[in-house]
Amino acid sequence: MELLDLYTLQQSYNQNGVMLCFNGPLTKSLIEEIGYALRSYMRNESPSRSIDVFAAYIEMTQNIRQYAASKGWTDNQTTATVVISHQDKEGRYAVSSGNVVEAYDGRQLVARVEALAEMDKSQLKSAYKEQLRKPRVEGTKTGAGLGLLNIARKASLPFTCSLRQLENGKAFFTLIAII
Amino acid sequence: MSYLELPPMGDLRIDGTSSTPAIVCESQAGFLEMRGDSYPENSFEFFMPVLAWVEDFLCRCDRPLTVDLYLLYLNTSSVKAMMDIFDMLEESHQRGRQVSVNWYYDKENERVAELAAEFKEDCSFPFVISQNAG
Repeated sequence: MELLDLYTLQQSYNQNGVMLCFNGPLTKSLIEEIGYALRSYMRNESPSRSIDVFAAYIEMTQNIRQYAASKGWTDNQTTATVVISHQDKEGRYAVSSGNVVEAYDGRQLVARVEALAEMDKSQLKSAYKEQLRKPRVEGTKTGAGLGLLNIARKASLPFTCSLRQLENGKAFFTLIAII
Repeated sequence: MSYLELPPMGDLRIDGTSSTPAIVCESQAGFLEMRGDSYPENSFEFFMPVLAWVEDFLCRCDRPLTVDLYLLYLNTSSVKAMMDIFDMLEESHQRGRQVSVNWYYDKENERVAELAAEFKEDCSFPFVISQNAG
């Protein structure tokens, strides 16, 4: 078995200002634990920025779990790659998440994210309020379809995202929010 | 949607956790209080007993209802559940019921004040947003 070169990994993390990185099955309690760490890392940050970064992290990770649940995937199949980095000269944070999706869903997701990236803050607020008023879809216990809108409203820059085609009709979706 | 299939309840107490608020509902006093962060995965399930209590209280008596909130961070599905509560209060208020919300926040935590202000936009009953003393 090839040994992992942790030094190279560490150098790469440092260069990219990675303060927190997770890869693997994403459980409900892990979301809370990592969130707890994130909050303590950001203790010296302004409460507003800290809450915005935390909110982006929570909405992204809960979206990933909810998506997997909607597909009937098990906890072990619910894997994600989550990176929170801080390298921007203006002190901004990047909250990034990647997960495997059905390629068809991935293309729809990209279209949705690109549409949100085109909207200004007041359009995002109207869209958010409109979505908030929509009745819950029967059978969904949790999501309100508000997560992406909420992150877009708090972000300093428009979303960036990408979709990489995988085998078996799957794709890897990456979403980056700058807060 | 009706929440009334659940058994009628007097008071309701839910202990807080790191991701869910502490909640106290007192029927005699006409009082509801929530404290802390709210970001459970299953917000609708989590808030169901509170939604049921509010609906029950508003239907079965005509005492005023005071809601005191010390909520901090809310995920979007908790926001949705809170809006359901405020909608019930608004509907009741439109029929002449005395209801009010007091939302307290720490001065340095302006996101909480912004969140509360956005809820307030859709409410015509007394909705006061104030800084915690001290």
